[in-house]
Amino acid sequence: MIQVEGLTKIFHDNKRGEVIAVNNLKFNCQMGKIYGLLGPNGAGKTTTLRILATMMRPTVGKVKVNGFDVVREPDEVRKQIGFLSGETGLYDRFTPRETLQFFGRINRMENEIIDKKMGEIFQALDMENFKDVRVDKLSTGMKQKLSIARCILHDPSVLILDEPTVGLDIITARTVTNYVESFKKQGKCVIYSTHIMREAEKLCDVIGIIHHGKLLAQGTLKELKKYSSLEDLEEIFFELIGRENS
Amino acid sequence: MNWKNIRSIFSKEIIGAIRDKRTLIAMIIVPLVFYPLLFIGMGYFSQMGNKKSEETVSIVAIKGEEFALQLSKHLENQEKIKTITKEDNAFAKLESGEIQAIIEIPPQFDSKIKQRESSRLVLKHDSTEVKSRVAQKRINLVIDEYLREIVSQRLNDLNLDEEIIHPFVLEMENVASSEKVAGTFLGFLLPYLVIILIFAGAMHTAIDITAGEKERGTIATLLVSQISRLEIVLGKCMAVMMVSFTSMIIGLFGISISLLSGNAIAGSGGIEGMKLGVTFSTFLLLFLILLPLVGLTSSVLVIVGIFARNIKEASSYITPIYMLTIFLGVISISQGIELSGNMFLIPILNSSFVFKEILMGKIYWSHIITTFSANMIIAGIALLGATRLFNKEEVLFRS
Repeated sequence: MIQVEGLTKIFHDNKRGEVIAVNNLKFNCQMGKIYGLLGPNGAGKTTTLRILATMMRPTVGKVKVNGFDVVREPDEVRKQIGFLSGETGLYDRFTPRETLQFFGRINRMENEIIDKKMGEIFQALDMENFKDVRVDKLSTGMKQKLSIARCILHDPSVLILDEPTVGLDIITARTVTNYVESFKKQGKCVIYSTHIMREAEKLCDVIGIIHHGKLLAQGTLKELKKYSSLEDLEEIFFELIGRENS
Repeated sequence: MNWKNIRSIFSKEIIGAIRDKRTLIAMIIVPLVFYPLLFIGMGYFSQMGNKKSEETVSIVAIKGEEFALQLSKHLENQEKIKTITKEDNAFAKLESGEIQAIIEIPPQFDSKIKQRESSRLVLKHDSTEVKSRVAQKRINLVIDEYLREIVSQRLNDLNLDEEIIHPFVLEMENVASSEKVAGTFLGFLLPYLVIILIFAGAMHTAIDITAGEKERGTIATLLVSQISRLEIVLGKCMAVMMVSFTSMIIGLFGISISLLSGNAIAGSGGIEGMKLGVTFSTFLLLFLILLPLVGLTSSVLVIVGIFARNIKEASSYITPIYMLTIFLGVISISQGIELSGNMFLIPILNSSFVFKEILMGKIYWSHIITTFSANMIIAGIALLGATRLFNKEEVLFRS
């Protein structure tokens, strides 16, 4: 599970001075649940997820993944997580099989286990027919399947997904969201950032609405509707942003 | 630190580099095909040009032929010289290249010579034209011969022996061994070439596996894996070193083919016939000097690559470093420059000088140890610097 307590991240920018990218966030995500971070571009979603994935350090606050602290125990945290973002690329000159073998090795997996796991994934994700084709020859959908395979190869219990459907066509995006739902069924803890309302509504058990680095509200869709007295998530979102701006 | 992880990164980068057409072109096609063609082509055209100039008959205008009949006759007798005596626009024709030289003979030239007086000749030529330079040489030979004839005649008239004007004869003997000649030739050229080959070989791969990973968004996948930043940097640096070293070896092989092909470098016959004095111990010493240089170059390029936002930015940062490297290489080519003690602490410059010394058979251990240690320490610092940069989120996620 993920526990975030008072998370703040401040960047130093030569032109703008101190920029508060994330401001005192507090949320939890339980195993077998999908927590959605919903917000526009620049809201602080990517920064939050980068901190959860140990790529950045928080300025203030505590973040724990399955009980391991992201600052003090980054190696332990990395064992627990799988990270996927719309921006995570793949090595063009490698085949899916070589890609997974490489990531398996650097995630300290034994060769036999890599092969076994790879076989299962190729079958589950329907990748058998392109497993030995170089990545630069693959379609966007095939590439995204490989990205998912890379992310789950070492069987992480926590998945950090940063706008994984951005830039994808509707069919590929559906493939991704189907897998996200299957992760939940497998009892994994999923944190999912998006700016697409439909995705958040459909996928997430708990939604946190984030704007200018602040968590404006969080809860189940039902709770959010009750809290705002509005029916539509998009309306709730604009209502909350309007309140924040005024 | 886990060597298995470093090896995984190293293998991944090497396979990536081998599968990259650009690396293959830069590493194999350019040195093994382009260099020999370039050298052979340069040699061939230069040789052709010289041959043509030597074969062409020089047209020489003589102004005042009637004042130096003997000299004119000598010139006319030359197979490769055609004299013309009635030419009004001689100067314009020399400038346009229609004729190759003008000889101006003053009045009373012959009579002054007869009276054992000194006279004056003017030879005009265009030093920028090969044919004109050839004509000047040909005329000089004729004039020298004619001068000797006159001097000999004058001495004879005075009943003096020719030895009176030759108090001694200077005989030159070259004591340089063929190994030393070869060493000097190589020592002059090789350090410069080696530095350029190491740098050029490392450049593309270093940028591609650092700034390139940032640009393609693959860096995040490495950062969230269970591998330390130091292991990533070490694996990457070793891969760059390997590519750089291999490019240098292939590059040198390509250049050797070019030189040994005989026609290379102005048709001088290359280094054919020169006996190389490179023994196993020399080879080991050269390796000892090259290893830290390759390491240093690779780590510096990796630092630049990590710092840059993308490949384009990395390329522009590397350009001045490349220029500086070429500059230091050029200093090593400059004849007559000797480095003093502390100067052996300057990377690149130190390697090229020690390299030169070793090739010429001069083994100065103080220079070798200083160079090796200085470059190793700087390479180590650069490696640590690269790891530190890899830990800095503001560098990795600069936008």
